[in-house]
Amino acid sequence: MLARIEIMPEQLLQQIVNGLLIGFMYSLIAIGLTLIWGVMNIVNFAHGDFLMVGMFTSFWLFSLYGLDPLFSIPICFLLLFVMGMLIYRFIVSKVMKGPMLAQLVVTFGVSIFLSNLAVYLWTPDFRLIPPTILQGTWEFGEIILSIPKTVASVGSIITSVCLFLFLKKTKTGKAILATEMDRESALLMGINTERINSLSFGIGAALVGVAGAFLSTYYYIYPQVGGLFGLIAFSIVALGGFGSIEGAFIAGILVGLVQTLGGFFFDPAYKYAIVFMIYLITIWIRPQGLLGW
Amino acid sequence: MTVGLAVMVMLLIFPLVVTQIFPLQIMILVFMYAMLGVAWNIMGGYAGMFSFGQAAFFGIGAYTSSYLLMAFHVNPWFGLIAGGVVAALVAAAIGYPCSNLRGHYFAIASIAFAEIVRVYFNNWTLVNAAEGISLPMLDESFTNFMFHNSKVPYYYIMLAFLLLALVVCHFVATSKMGYYFRAIKESHDVAEVLGVNVVRYRLIAIMVSAFLSAMAGTFYAQYVLYIDPESVMLLAISIQIVLLSMLGGAGSVMGPVIGAAVLIPIAEVTRVWLGHQGTGVDMLIYGFLITIISVYQPQGVWGILSRIGNRIK
Amino acid sequence: MKVKSWITICLSMFLLLAFSGTVLAQEVIKIGAVYPLTGNIASTGLDCKRGVDLAVDIINGKYGKDLDLPMAKTGGLPNLGGAKLEVIYADTKGEPKNGMSETERLVTQEKVVAIIGAYQSSVTKTASQATERLKVPYVCSDSSSPTLTERGFKYFFRVSPHDAIFAKDWFQFLKDVENKTKMKLTTVAILYENTEFGSNVGKYARKYAQEFGYKVVADVSYAANATDVTSEVGTLIKSKPDVLMHASYITDAILFTKTFKEMGFAPKGILTMAGYIEPGYLPAVRVDGNNIIVRSTFALDLGKRKPLVAKVSQLFKKKYGIDMSENAARSFMAPFVLADAFNRAKSTNSEAVVKALLETNIPGNQVIYPWKGIQFDPQSHQNIYAQGGLVQVQNQQYVTVWPFASAAKDVVWPFPGWKGKK
Repeated sequence: MLARIEIMPEQLLQQIVNGLLIGFMYSLIAIGLTLIWGVMNIVNFAHGDFLMVGMFTSFWLFSLYGLDPLFSIPICFLLLFVMGMLIYRFIVSKVMKGPMLAQLVVTFGVSIFLSNLAVYLWTPDFRLIPPTILQGTWEFGEIILSIPKTVASVGSIITSVCLFLFLKKTKTGKAILATEMDRESALLMGINTERINSLSFGIGAALVGVAGAFLSTYYYIYPQVGGLFGLIAFSIVALGGFGSIEGAFIAGILVGLVQTLGGFFFDPAYKYAIVFMIYLITIWIRPQGLLGW
Repeated sequence: MTVGLAVMVMLLIFPLVVTQIFPLQIMILVFMYAMLGVAWNIMGGYAGMFSFGQAAFFGIGAYTSSYLLMAFHVNPWFGLIAGGVVAALVAAAIGYPCSNLRGHYFAIASIAFAEIVRVYFNNWTLVNAAEGISLPMLDESFTNFMFHNSKVPYYYIMLAFLLLALVVCHFVATSKMGYYFRAIKESHDVAEVLGVNVVRYRLIAIMVSAFLSAMAGTFYAQYVLYIDPESVMLLAISIQIVLLSMLGGAGSVMGPVIGAAVLIPIAEVTRVWLGHQGTGVDMLIYGFLITIISVYQPQGVWGILSRIGNRIK
Repeated sequence: MKVKSWITICLSMFLLLAFSGTVLAQEVIKIGAVYPLTGNIASTGLDCKRGVDLAVDIINGKYGKDLDLPMAKTGGLPNLGGAKLEVIYADTKGEPKNGMSETERLVTQEKVVAIIGAYQSSVTKTASQATERLKVPYVCSDSSSPTLTERGFKYFFRVSPHDAIFAKDWFQFLKDVENKTKMKLTTVAILYENTEFGSNVGKYARKYAQEFGYKVVADVSYAANATDVTSEVGTLIKSKPDVLMHASYITDAILFTKTFKEMGFAPKGILTMAGYIEPGYLPAVRVDGNNIIVRSTFALDLGKRKPLVAKVSQLFKKKYGIDMSENAARSFMAPFVLADAFNRAKSTNSEAVVKALLETNIPGNQVIYPWKGIQFDPQSHQNIYAQGGLVQVQNQQYVTVWPFASAAKDVVWPFPGWKGKK
């Protein structure tokens, strides 16, 4: 299982770079999930399917109107934001007072519904957006950087910073943070927690919609694409600590590195098992995750 | 009580009256999933540990008995017990470190665990990895746990297994242990303060659940005669088990049975009617139902029935 | 009295005519087809269905009498009173347990007399176990796992080549190309997805590598729906192979192609299976697919050498508006084998049909592949003449390049790399 061939430092560096590139994408997907989780204690099992909707939105905007995925980002953001708010308002809010099992299961129902709606509307075929403005690779000596992945990583960093600033500097953002930390006190302070919930769900969905737009520039698009990404996102959120944006961001990068390096040094067949293993070990040793409280 | 007896009688004479294969197949699947749901219920509905990884135990049961049969010609009935034991041991091994995980954390951990198991089996050459195990075709007999000419013996065996699971669940529900389970479900900390050995009872719940799930796995292997990690350890199976238990009513003995009786026929029939167009409409309906039930009737069908029952009283 | 007897005579004549009418009326022979018509792999299942439907149309005489395929000239089965074939489809959703249950349902409820399908080897396994139990013939022309014909089943027959044959073809090709170009090749890297299909290919590739004298420098298995394959490609680059051999489905074919290009992995040759010849692959990767070599049972350019292929391809395009794909071409043959067997057996009784199948001897000019014909090995029931070929993507088209004797164009070798292919 262990590689016995000499590994040149450039190859190692290349794998680290690739791990980072996929890691940043994971981070972007995970921060939306952790926001929803932290604010209202709901595991959004449909998160991967929101990603899928973002990817398809970007694809159809490109196919029908020739819009480059980079420019569909704001549209994906808005569309998913509205979709998230509606799903919260009409479905999720109603189980908030119900039993835990209902809360766990309702987003599963939404997930199954969304992915099969996609099959119904768009068939199970695989789509790929052909090379657009930003394609190809940059080379720094022996190291190769995929341009779309790098752009996505930069986008992820920018988006995360924006979110961070929004939460820390704006009034609404601070209200969200307050609700996350202590729901009762937030209520007492006059914060409309229902509105905060709705907003957070919308923002969470919007963020992963943006991730979908970026991902569509280099990954294939089909109705069940959300599956594995969603699963990995849960591990990342738990690893980083439920509710912690910084935690999810860092954990995303870590998981990207573990997946790539683990696959490179050990058997690629086991790379996801390694990711899940890391989750389990972290949760045993430090249940609140790396940066959770 | 009388309703129960009537249902029981109908189930017993069903295969004698209905001889077509397709309805028999549906009933066998209903029983199997009902059993898996009841097993899940013991640790989920009653003890509050919502596992989304039951397929791992189902698969371990199937693989243990099938491997023993293939490699050492061990009789499948012994394999059945062996499978249950192995699953219970694995459950204890994973359950112990997870014993203080609650709610969402436990759910995700169960998914992570089940996926690790699946990936492992997919690469484990001892059990043919991804190629899967094709069970040797033995002569038809009860001792061999294999029948070729008719599904009827399978029907009765699965029904018997289901009844066993229900008896176990009933015992758990009404015994002192059942009260401890529910205390743990309500609140770990309070239960601990009250002197309940939380870890011990959680482990018991998980192990019993695993054992029963493994039994269903062995049945599946003997029924379909071919297993591979994709067909017995898939996440989708685990999710299906939770969904039907919830639909029927988690936390009640008969809940999962009702859930299975409703969902499985819907899934099978819609696939036959609507499936061949390739549009996923059947799953659309499924997802929609799940969402509606969670929102409006989280107690499941059992909840509706008990409310009606109360009103009649 | 006379009137009465006249009425009796007329009535009897009328009844006799009516009765004979039903006897002369054409029978319909029902066969069952199990395919994944919904679910992840639905597009492939529907592709197979197209092949089967066209075949049945031809057998039933819809397309005129000048096609040199079994039953085409007669339209229906002549030894069975011109009976027509009818296919009843069932959706397996790609799951083995449904393969079993749908097969049982088709046989016991729909009363089909034979089964074809199921594309995925894991589903074919359970479906054929059902037919073995129910004692009904199963003719498979689209599943490639070698294990299917290693079970000693009496009722299961396979028309198409299997993965061991395809793997061996890869190595035979390498030897041939070494002779042709005088370029020495020593090392191979084997890459495969980790379900039954890929692992089997991996197993046989290792075996033949040893037999043919090549060194395996990397042996990498992976999950087909991976989010990212840079570590796998990194491992391949590290091992510096002369040739890459890849068994994949379509999603990983796409992902790996992109990653190979991105990371600049360009061995002297890229030999692949399955996923790279799916109809969705080239539209997705476009020019990046160029110069990749894929195993194939069928290619459109066979039509240049075999007019039958051209005619069938035309019919396919006319009926469906798209080119005939490899999947459709493979599934196409099974109904013909069954029709031929029913006809010679003069019956649809299972034992008679199995006997007839064992005596099958369809000549090479009546199949749409470059085979010598169809004849089943008495032990394994594998078609002894089934063989694969290799096509190469040239200018975004699949071109037959091997065996060299039946190639439409020369193979481009070595692989010219990815640069300048934007």
